[in-house]
Amino acid sequence: MDNSPELQRFLEQEKHKAMISEMVGKLTNECWDKCITGAPGSKFSSSESACLTNCAQRCIITFLEALEVIGFRS
Amino acid sequence: MDPFSLPSPSSASSGQSAPSPEVLMDQLKTQLAQAYAEEFFETVKSKCFARCITKPGTSLSGSESSCISRCLDRYIEATGIIGRSLFNSPH
Repeated sequence: MDNSPELQRFLEQEKHKAMISEMVGKLTNECWDKCITGAPGSKFSSSESACLTNCAQRCIITFLEALEVIGFRS
Repeated sequence: MDPFSLPSPSSASSGQSAPSPEVLMDQLKTQLAQAYAEEFFETVKSKCFARCITKPGTSLSGSESSCISRCLDRYIEATGIIGRSLFNSPH
């Protein structure tokens, strides 16, 4: 069976999509614990949704800052 | 089997042609979706059990099951909020 370029391209795309899904999943896992403290309500309070938004961005920025500290500079 | 690796040609039995790329792509998409769903629900189950079941009884009370239902909705919503915040972030 030949590995058609179309199939290779598809595999690359799916791999990237899976990586992004996994990242969102891990961030949601962490940020949920940090931001949603009580039993869940029928909607998020404004502070809970702000917390979730900020949490994800903070996580990424923290990761990038850590990379800089250990010597990777863009 | 790693879903990203292709089956080796020797694994195809003689007389059968290898599946078309379209079939392979569909199979892969289905496998990935299933794996994602399994992991997602495993996470939701543990988060919502922690929040909603404080004193396990012999069956779910009405308030426990409505808590779990709300929890699932909120967790799905949280996944969306976080996904969007990553791709809309000002830098």
